[in-house]
Amino acid sequence: MNEEALLARAFEERARIFQRYERGRENLAGQIDPWEDPEFEDYHKTDRYGFIHDERLLQKTAPQKINVEVEREKKWLKMLGSWDSPTTMEKLHRRIYKGIPNSLRIKIWCKLLNVNSVKSTSPGKYQEMLKLAKQWSTDARQIDSDVNRQFREHQFYRERYSEKQCSLFNVLCAYSMYNSEVGYCQGMSGLAGVLLMYMDEEDAFWALAILLSDKKYAMHGLYIEGFPKLTRFLEHHDKILTKFMPKLKHHFDKFGLDAILYSLKWFFVCFVERVPFSLCLRVWDIYLLDGERVITAMAYTILKLHKKAIMKLNDMDLIVNFIQVKLHKEFGYEDDMVIYHLERSMEELKRAKLDYPGPPPPTELPQRALGVFVEPDKKSKIGQRAENFSETEKQARATVILREEEIFVPSDTLKYKSKVTQKDNNSTRREKAALDLQDLRVSQSDTVSVVCSDHSGVASGVRCEDSVSALGSRRSLADTSVTSTADLSVFSSGRSHAPDNSLDTHSNISDDGTGSDGSGICGMSIQRAPSTAHSTPRATPHPPSVSPHSEDVVRIHVTYNPLAASPAHLQPVSPSKYKSYADEHHKPVSLGLYTSNGAPNISSDNRIRIQVSSDELLTPVVDSGRIITQRYIESHPGIYE
Amino acid sequence: MDMATNRNAAAQRPNGAPQTKVCQFKLVLLGESAVGKSSLVLRFVKGQFHEYQESTIGAAFLTQTLCLDDTTVKFEIWDTAGQERYHSLAPMYYRGAQAAIVVYDITNQDTFGRAKNWVKELQRQASPSIVIALAGNKSDLAAKRMVEFEEAQAYADENGLLFMETSAKTAMNVNDIFLAIANKLPKSESAGGGAAGGARRLNDADAPRSSSCCK
Repeated sequence: MNEEALLARAFEERARIFQRYERGRENLAGQIDPWEDPEFEDYHKTDRYGFIHDERLLQKTAPQKINVEVEREKKWLKMLGSWDSPTTMEKLHRRIYKGIPNSLRIKIWCKLLNVNSVKSTSPGKYQEMLKLAKQWSTDARQIDSDVNRQFREHQFYRERYSEKQCSLFNVLCAYSMYNSEVGYCQGMSGLAGVLLMYMDEEDAFWALAILLSDKKYAMHGLYIEGFPKLTRFLEHHDKILTKFMPKLKHHFDKFGLDAILYSLKWFFVCFVERVPFSLCLRVWDIYLLDGERVITAMAYTILKLHKKAIMKLNDMDLIVNFIQVKLHKEFGYEDDMVIYHLERSMEELKRAKLDYPGPPPPTELPQRALGVFVEPDKKSKIGQRAENFSETEKQARATVILREEEIFVPSDTLKYKSKVTQKDNNSTRREKAALDLQDLRVSQSDTVSVVCSDHSGVASGVRCEDSVSALGSRRSLADTSVTSTADLSVFSSGRSHAPDNSLDTHSNISDDGTGSDGSGICGMSIQRAPSTAHSTPRATPHPPSVSPHSEDVVRIHVTYNPLAASPAHLQPVSPSKYKSYADEHHKPVSLGLYTSNGAPNISSDNRIRIQVSSDELLTPVVDSGRIITQRYIESHPGIYE
Repeated sequence: MDMATNRNAAAQRPNGAPQTKVCQFKLVLLGESAVGKSSLVLRFVKGQFHEYQESTIGAAFLTQTLCLDDTTVKFEIWDTAGQERYHSLAPMYYRGAQAAIVVYDITNQDTFGRAKNWVKELQRQASPSIVIALAGNKSDLAAKRMVEFEEAQAYADENGLLFMETSAKTAMNVNDIFLAIANKLPKSESAGGGAAGGARRLNDADAPRSSSCCK
């Protein structure tokens, strides 16, 4: 299809989607796919034997609780009459922590968010955005598919194209035009879905707009490309865990469980579908009053209350399931009790000056004017996905990868304190940050990709069995045999590097404390986390902070396999060249640089394969694809003692 | 082949019986939004199907164990979010993965195109020895089919992918595709020799990290 046809198709698709929501359920009789629409009265699940379960309420709200709420309603109604008076401000905090009566949430939430005054400053804006969305929104398809599965167990959203489903679709589409940086990001349907349970369409739109752009909530930074606020809040969350619950943190680290894996919805949608809905509403009440520090404190509170239970779970699967699924179904504490602890947590964190990760940097706030139409580019109009990552996304990837790897360091350090000092540990982390950034560049630029032959595990296994226990565990930590370090400067474009400077001669097991000859890179590969069983080759830069070299220099760890034969389909690239560089003190070794011509299943042809067939390694230095020089990598005799 | 989805297969062997080899593999699910990635996992791991599976934000993690003839295979399954914005998180999940299931929806041609892009990205960026399976999901909606079986099969053959049409709703081919992957993965450290390192044997007594221990 040519571009015009693709554009026309995308236009038709959007028109079709919008039309269905405009017509609504009543006018779509017989036209709604049965699979989109539940036939049964209540939300149902089909079990493994095909039985459909009608899940009824297990518990009803106790009558005395309802009485309390009725009493509170009276007080709240009185307070609503004099909302701006000083007495209200005095009482508000205490009353909100006790919980807003459900029947009044519609009013109080709008008050807390200041919806009416924001709305009145832009009359007609919502309709304008909705109209624009109908014509331009590139997110309609994604929004449609998410509306089709958001809160389908809720009576408002149960029926396809019900009034609230249509409102949800409209609010999200309109917002995707209003804030062109965010557009629509999965997760926002959860926020808008909750707001719409208590507000009409236009109020919900403005409430969503306030949650994203008001500095008190600043959720904009959560949803934009690269998720910068998520990263910042996760780092802060880690800091809190390290300080207040180091054992739990260690427990998570032991299983390679990064906070991003269990807490994403805490931060993204303020605990929707992660704690029981009644509790979620209570947290929202407080969030709307006190802003983003509530999220941080609630995350801490959840883990604090369930620390014991989590410590008993010895499997990443079980922990994640407990935090994400079990606590949603049954939190195990009364809502009031949880809120009591939440308040204590907020005080505790404030005392430790950890209650707030700080105000959002400008990059987390809307940069473009809100409500101003920006025509989408052709690609997004057609619905094509970008083929390459933007700089922001690359950065985000790097951060994510860094977080993933970082968590293995502390557990290692705890076990082998005597071996690795904190200082080295920190510098290793820094280096790894740089490493992963560079790794990214390697893979992204597609300039050079190194395919390492895997270790067989045999030779190293024999050697490592003689090693001291700490090193033995390092072996398994790295899940690797002896890994050598090779330097390849792959990114230089015409610039030449001093080969001597860009060389390091470390085996991977040498990070025994001193670790650095200025390159600051030694011992990198031993941090390889076994649970992720990394196989991708490691390309490492000289970290700019410690290295005088150009950041264009990349180091690639080559896993060594003495038993593997040269793959037959790989053609050596002038291996004889190496011999002239062989140091006469070493036995001659053969080190081949291979291109992957004819290699099946590898699409990229500009890969370099390095086959190392001895533990006395030559380290080639490659500039713009040519080998400049190579060196032996010295083995470390001490490590097998 | 005989198959059971028993989470504690190894532990239940009577004492004295030859120990089953337990291998652990990291598997990632990739594909366009709403093609049924989470539903496939839910069906495989819990045997359930939810009509309205909530959309995955970030990623979900689950495990399931399969028993082959002489080996117990434990899959660590990373189920990723489909929206493009979450794409930047994907490498965290597929890095080091020994297997991937790339899912598309047979009723939507675009999702097939997207699946091809994922395959390309895996071939370029993931471990070279990664076992990739292509799953054409929602085969229960064959009446609305937009991607022909033959077209997908030909693509899979060209690229050396396992291929099946699946239905998380009816459970068709769901266990089978995981089983086919398990069979294709190298089960011992010396086998395969791919960069993914084959499986990690879980019954190495000296493995210090509990996630690498036989459970």
